[in-house]
Amino acid sequence: MRLELLASFLAVFAIRGPMPVTSAPPATAILVFSAASLTESLQELGAAYEKESGTKVVFSFGASSDLEREIEAGAPADVFFSADTAKMDALEKAGLVGKGDRKDFLSNLLVVVVPDGSTAKIASAKDLAAMPKIALADPASVPAGVYAKKWLTAAGVWDEVSPKVIPTLDVRAALAAVAGGDVPAGVVYATDAAVGKGTRVAMTVTDGPPILYSLAALPGSKNRSAAEAFVAFLGGPEARAVFTRRGFRVVSEAP
Amino acid sequence: MTADDLGILWLTVRVAALATVLILPFGVACGWLLARWRGPGRILVETVLSLPLVLPPTAVGLLLLEALRRNGPVGRILDRAGVEVLFTARAVVLACAVMSLPFLVRFARTAFEEVDPRLLVMARTLGDSPAAAFRRVALPLAWRGILAGTLLAFSRALGEFGATILVAGNIPGRTQTLALAIFQRTHIGQDAGAMRLVGLTVALAFAAVLATEALTRRRARRVET
Repeated sequence: MRLELLASFLAVFAIRGPMPVTSAPPATAILVFSAASLTESLQELGAAYEKESGTKVVFSFGASSDLEREIEAGAPADVFFSADTAKMDALEKAGLVGKGDRKDFLSNLLVVVVPDGSTAKIASAKDLAAMPKIALADPASVPAGVYAKKWLTAAGVWDEVSPKVIPTLDVRAALAAVAGGDVPAGVVYATDAAVGKGTRVAMTVTDGPPILYSLAALPGSKNRSAAEAFVAFLGGPEARAVFTRRGFRVVSEAP
Repeated sequence: MTADDLGILWLTVRVAALATVLILPFGVACGWLLARWRGPGRILVETVLSLPLVLPPTAVGLLLLEALRRNGPVGRILDRAGVEVLFTARAVVLACAVMSLPFLVRFARTAFEEVDPRLLVMARTLGDSPAAAFRRVALPLAWRGILAGTLLAFSRALGEFGATILVAGNIPGRTQTLALAIFQRTHIGQDAGAMRLVGLTVALAFAAVLATEALTRRRARRVET
């Protein structure tokens, strides 16, 4: 008797509602893998696009490096928006993106952030190197950290900085570590600092490496035309206005 | 409590329940064999089945990922069949199933071991086939232990993290379970939102463990008398 009760209890969970496991997503839903730094911009644009086109846009935000690995392993992403060109190059090399699929048109700046109440004065890479701990998106792979490492290496202080680095999973985690007051300084994108609470910008990096984002509809997508339409929308004037308002720079006219 | 929170809770409960239902027949069969079979390979089989208990979940996750990836041994077959597993809810179910199977097997084995083998022999002499003896004697005597193991496996599945994040990523609305959402919200600094989910997991785990405890207690009492 009780066994039957349990069976029906489990059965309720197993069959009620549309199971994500057995039902494929509707044809008009696309999955966008995107760099964490684009979170607010893409959420805003995704909502606008859903209203305009009826296509549902689902995002997975994270480190571009993690997302690239997931796509290589076979993740069912329809669109990839990387914070650098290296990850897109890797996908191109793996045959998962064609040359013509890419749009490299968005740029950003690095800034040094400190907790709101901090009195630290940081005006150069040398000043940053004097801090006891520095939060960076993992400089071994995550674009924001890779850019920061390039900047600090060119400034000749990387060897000094490297043992003090608190590597984080993505750039937003570096921002959160500084905002929480646990780490006295970090390097993030200017656009992250603009949306973050609890931090202030101590300096803007003007002599950093060029930052270039890369966007592509993935050829392996099951919703190729919907993916391409969304990518075209992201390169259009409405999207460019949103990116610019949020602090990104559009460096070339998207085709 | 937001709609997002409830969506995450619902997804978590559904994948954990499905994983539990999927391992139930296999887990009970393994428990039965391990309780009855005295062959030389027994210890080896038992050890292999227990590995997910002691391995780091990320190690199990990586093994699954390598097997299932585009060019992996299993991935290639799935690809040809047009079945998507990695980074979908199916991958969450798979990770949960693998990680919680040992709990079910161990509980089922113990429960079957407590069944007096003479009763089974008696059933056979009275004309029951081995299958009938299992169904009419062993299962009714062991069901409480099996149920406790099932609940524990379900609880383990609810909290699965390490293997899941490797094979299913952390995709909101598709593969993001409570454990993954707590992780993501914490590392992007949304501590309040993460705490709400922690509250949900505490309530869920409390109910599941309490039910398991209640079942095992009653079983212990019955054995004593």
